[in-house]
Amino acid sequence: MKIKYWKPWTFVLPALVAYLIVIVAPSLYTLRLSFFSWNGIAADKKFVGIKNYTYLLTEDAVFRVALRNNILWMAGSLTVIIGLGLMFALLLNRRLKGRSVFRSIFYFPYVLSGIIVALMWTWLYHPTKGFFNVILQQIGLSQLTHPWLADPKTALAAVFVAAVWQGVGLPMVLFLAGLQSIPRDCYEAAIIDGAKPRQSFRYITIPLLSETFVVVFATTLVNAMKVYDIIYGMTAGGPAQSTQVLSSWMYYQTFKFNNIGVGSAISWVLVLITMIIIIPYVYYTNKKSHL
Amino acid sequence: MGKKRLIFLLAITMVLVVVLSACSSKEGSDKASSASDTGETTISLWVLNDQAAYLKPILESFQKDNPTIHVEATYYGTDPLKESLKVAASSKTLPTMWFTWGGSLGAFYPENGLTMDLTETAASHKWSDIYNSAALDMVKYDNKTSGIPFHVASLGMFYPKELYAKLNLNPPTSFAEFEQQMGKIKESGITPLAVGGKGGWDVMRLTEQLLEHFAGPELHDKLNALEASWADPAVEKSFEKLKEWSDKNYFEKGFITLDPLEAETPLYQKERAYALTGPWIDTNISGAGNAPDSFGVFKFPNDQPKVRMSSFTEMFQISGSADGKEQEAAVKLGEYITGPDIVNKYIDQYGAPALKEFTFSKQSPHTSEMAGMIGDGSFLISDQALPQAVVQKLFEAQDAVVLGEWTPAQAGQEIQKAVETYKSGN
Repeated sequence: MKIKYWKPWTFVLPALVAYLIVIVAPSLYTLRLSFFSWNGIAADKKFVGIKNYTYLLTEDAVFRVALRNNILWMAGSLTVIIGLGLMFALLLNRRLKGRSVFRSIFYFPYVLSGIIVALMWTWLYHPTKGFFNVILQQIGLSQLTHPWLADPKTALAAVFVAAVWQGVGLPMVLFLAGLQSIPRDCYEAAIIDGAKPRQSFRYITIPLLSETFVVVFATTLVNAMKVYDIIYGMTAGGPAQSTQVLSSWMYYQTFKFNNIGVGSAISWVLVLITMIIIIPYVYYTNKKSHL
Repeated sequence: MGKKRLIFLLAITMVLVVVLSACSSKEGSDKASSASDTGETTISLWVLNDQAAYLKPILESFQKDNPTIHVEATYYGTDPLKESLKVAASSKTLPTMWFTWGGSLGAFYPENGLTMDLTETAASHKWSDIYNSAALDMVKYDNKTSGIPFHVASLGMFYPKELYAKLNLNPPTSFAEFEQQMGKIKESGITPLAVGGKGGWDVMRLTEQLLEHFAGPELHDKLNALEASWADPAVEKSFEKLKEWSDKNYFEKGFITLDPLEAETPLYQKERAYALTGPWIDTNISGAGNAPDSFGVFKFPNDQPKVRMSSFTEMFQISGSADGKEQEAAVKLGEYITGPDIVNKYIDQYGAPALKEFTFSKQSPHTSEMAGMIGDGSFLISDQALPQAVVQKLFEAQDAVVLGEWTPAQAGQEIQKAVETYKSGN
């Protein structure tokens, strides 16, 4: 009986130990650091309670910009990236000529590093020689040419377009895998019952993709919250800090300004936001799928 | 049942062994350093990727000359090096020797007691006979020598001689004349200034010269030392001028997020008139297929009695916690890399050395010219002179003024707020 109780733990234990050492312990240590004023080296860490958090929320204007940008980025990712990923998956799940090639083409940007994507898109957005402005000039729409990355009103959106181009491949592949696991019988039965394609999508595809949605939602949300390299590569947080996000501002606070406490507080704000959204979502979808 | 229990216990034991062995790295490193008992010393060195071209052969020849010293070099990009050094410093795993910049960037390590005090070494090895005095001053913190001087560079205004000849211009001798020339160049259809605002530091080179012009050297030095208020009218005037130049389109459209290197490229093709940069531009000009001597250089005409140039230093720092033998080997390596024999041998790629005397490279004619220009003095470049949090606010202020989001007066006030926040936290 005792062995029966302990046996599953023996299988879980190695991964659990690794998880505790690599993820949980550093996270808790970071949480502890967020209550101190420390430069990362000095022997004495000064306990400041929640001062780092109140500083961020009441005094640090860049933090508020970064928080707003992260929320916008997250909302955009959860709608645009997931929406496009699902749309491409539905299209490429049909019997199209050359669909494997299209699948590879749409997935390809995802395997590129963020910095490479940033370099490519920075060139595309170049104010005078970039693809977009040159095309606009050549088709007689020079009045629409714009320094896309240099205007705070368009900079974040311009970077987001590049991120969509890069990121849409992952949800597409996950949705494709989910779609291929749905039995054909369900659709055939629906056709016999007179269901229209839209109804099949609403009442068969979406419910049977619910498990896939959990994975796609979680990965997209986490990727959106930790976005860093593409922004750093394309604008370095500028112009005038207008494209800073929490990860980049955490980097600046921690590694440039040596404010380990403030940097740690930013990282925990990130963790909390992610948890507030993801835990209820996973709980709700799990509960629903076991009804 | 007994067999299953045994398997379970074995699994637990194995996990514990793995965890405990991971925690025993100190013991492991102690065993590694015991190689020094055999007369051999291994030193780790962290440097930049773009130094690899000349540092790799230099390190090879050093190890040939010193067979008992092994150098393990790791090459990083600029930001990864800064980041790795900070992480290593907080986890007490700094390499034996590392490359760093001067001012507030390099000061972090001696300020926190992480570097070897090289004051006695500098005196006994007579560094004052080898390195130039400006370089030696810039590697000192609290009057202690904290690094081996590697490079000292100053910034001047580079221009294509052909363009100047075509427009019948001569290097300006006053600020007003410089502005007139920019107007004339703009009228001829050429954007005067090759500046990329991404990262902030390229625009900063102009801002700090505008500060030198409007504030004068005394106030400028006080501003950098945080001893004067940035809400000063001279700071406001400097930002006003930056905004005026931007509004007159003296910069490329959208320059504020252009990569500095990308923004500089049109200058090599004579499609821009000026870049405020250092002698390393010679390598870029050659790389673009032009002769470096087809470009001229002048000091930014800031109208001061002594026209100071912005300058900065680069150095090697040595870990204060490395053992004596490793420190001795690191000093030997640092002096080897920065010594006259090696510098003269690799001068074509080396950049601007920190030496008193060296052979000038034909491939980099401006190195010698600019070394002669610095006689009137220099000021430490702003992103090394100011604390990094203030530097970041200065960069934000430049962008915000250019984009019309802040007034020039507001820019000064915001920087002053950052100064006060920094002071209250230190």
